[in-house]
Amino acid sequence: MTKIIDLIIQEKVYKSKKSRLSILNDFKLEVNSGERIAIVGKSGVGKTTLLNILGLLDRNYNGSYTLFGSKTNDLNLSQLAEWRNQKIGFVLQESALINSLTIEENIKLPLLYAKSGEKRKLKDFESIINVIGIESILKKKPLECSGGEKSRAVFARAVIMKPQLILCDEPTASLDGDNKERIITLLFKMNQEFNTTIITVTHDLEVANRHEKIIHLERRM
Amino acid sequence: MIVLSVLLLLFLSNYLVFIATRSTVSTLQGYDEMKHLNQVDNYIANLDPDSDMNMGEIDKNDTQNVYDYLNNNFSYALFTDGFIVSLPNAYDMEVSFAYLNEEYYKLNKQFEISQGKDLDFDYCFDNDIEIPVLIGKGLSETYPLGSTIKIEDPVLQKQITLKVQGILKPNVHHSNLNSLSSKQYYNFSVIIPINEDFINNSNVGLQLHGLFDIILLQTSKNEIDGLREVIQDNLGLEFNFYTQEENFEYFNEYYFSSLKIITILTAIIILILICLTIWSSLASIRLMIKEFIINLFVGLSYSKLRKIFYGYYGVLFFINLIILFILTAYSRYGNWIRKDASFSTFGLFGVIGMDWLALLAVLFFDIIIGIIIVEIMLWRIKKVPISLGVLQ
Repeated sequence: MTKIIDLIIQEKVYKSKKSRLSILNDFKLEVNSGERIAIVGKSGVGKTTLLNILGLLDRNYNGSYTLFGSKTNDLNLSQLAEWRNQKIGFVLQESALINSLTIEENIKLPLLYAKSGEKRKLKDFESIINVIGIESILKKKPLECSGGEKSRAVFARAVIMKPQLILCDEPTASLDGDNKERIITLLFKMNQEFNTTIITVTHDLEVANRHEKIIHLERRM
Repeated sequence: MIVLSVLLLLFLSNYLVFIATRSTVSTLQGYDEMKHLNQVDNYIANLDPDSDMNMGEIDKNDTQNVYDYLNNNFSYALFTDGFIVSLPNAYDMEVSFAYLNEEYYKLNKQFEISQGKDLDFDYCFDNDIEIPVLIGKGLSETYPLGSTIKIEDPVLQKQITLKVQGILKPNVHHSNLNSLSSKQYYNFSVIIPINEDFINNSNVGLQLHGLFDIILLQTSKNEIDGLREVIQDNLGLEFNFYTQEENFEYFNEYYFSSLKIITILTAIIILILICLTIWSSLASIRLMIKEFIINLFVGLSYSKLRKIFYGYYGVLFFINLIILFILTAYSRYGNWIRKDASFSTFGLFGVIGMDWLALLAVLFFDIIIGIIIVEIMLWRIKKVPISLGVLQ
């Protein structure tokens, strides 16, 4: 298996005028392609910060991050955006849809920023929505959809570019049992069919236990 | 509402830049034209603003006395225009006769010709008078080079024959001696050379109007005092005589103060425009932070955002430029519709070189403003923290 993530964080600091908060001290993470990893921990230990760093949204920390064999510090802002577009998918909570766009427009949003060669992925659109089962809501706006439908739409948007890495931030937090199961099944289907690496931040131990590896984040003083 | 305000402010600043540039170009043209007059010992007449003038009380004998004195004691350059005649032409424009003497023609290099040859002033003034003239481009279709025009001259008040000796270049103009930024165009004018005989035989209209801007050559203040008395005694008018340098100073005094006001006003508008634009964009992004961050997640980069902003402001600036062009064209073309011969110009909808130059200046100004706005906006936007936490 190929190592796709090699992250070393000495310290991540949040500063304000009055305080200084240091998290993820001496944190190390190595992930091989196709692995399924869950990250659990109490609020405030840095789960979202870790996802921000893994998702190339935050480079303001002491440490190093090698992703797909490239040091992310060597990438410029445009390259980071390109990688977020093509190599990383974000499965977020159901609210992470743009309400003024239809479900179809939301799902196709990454194609708007894709290189012209990548637009061929438009062909995959129908097969993806068939698998996810959201054909009937494509023309609806998010506010007209149920929580489960919206979660599946967020999932569809995350996988439309067939990313090598999927980062999930509490993907099942507001879903009932059936819908939760559907999302987890879809995620793992991607993992098995395309060897996609999955890193999930969750409070839900039941969801966490279905991953191959669980990382417990704790505050180190 | 904010977009409309931005558009309005942008238009105002563009318009001010446009008129300031055009006026500056026009003034520089005026300076260039008048530099020939700006010689030591040349004095230019100017009717004192406090002098009461009653045309009805001035007759030919009065003005002739002044010209007799002038002819005996001075060398002078004379130019007067605006004598409207009815002369059929292809554009159905009213035609203006302009009269100038040889000294003026030599001194002023404005009346450049595209065809034919320069004016002669030593024609014989008799009953079968045929005067060689220059005509504006607008009359050249109807009256080509070498053709003759029979017409009753408005200042001689008798039938004369004009022979087209030369055709002026398009948009030949003449600036106002005292207001250098103002000018009129000679596309529909007939430039008539006049000599001493012509002046002596012309009516009070030409003689009096000719005096208003007469240029006394190679003279002195003392000699001018004698002329001033003759004018006062015969016409009852108070005349001042200034060098062109003094005219420049007078002009500069009010011109630069108005230019200063325009510049300050433009700077204030630009400042408001930049602040309003950046504030509205940042406010929009704060209001739509979720949408903005979702776009960043799926591949929007700051360089793409920069392109989007440049595209957006490019469209706004382009709309403004088009509006400005339409207004300019409307103003220029309006002269053609009103048949205003003195201001009708040749060009796309009458738009001439100085207009294009001013539009170019506006384009350059917009590019600078656009770069300032977009770069400041991006600089501020990059400071907005991007995090998954925003979506939770």
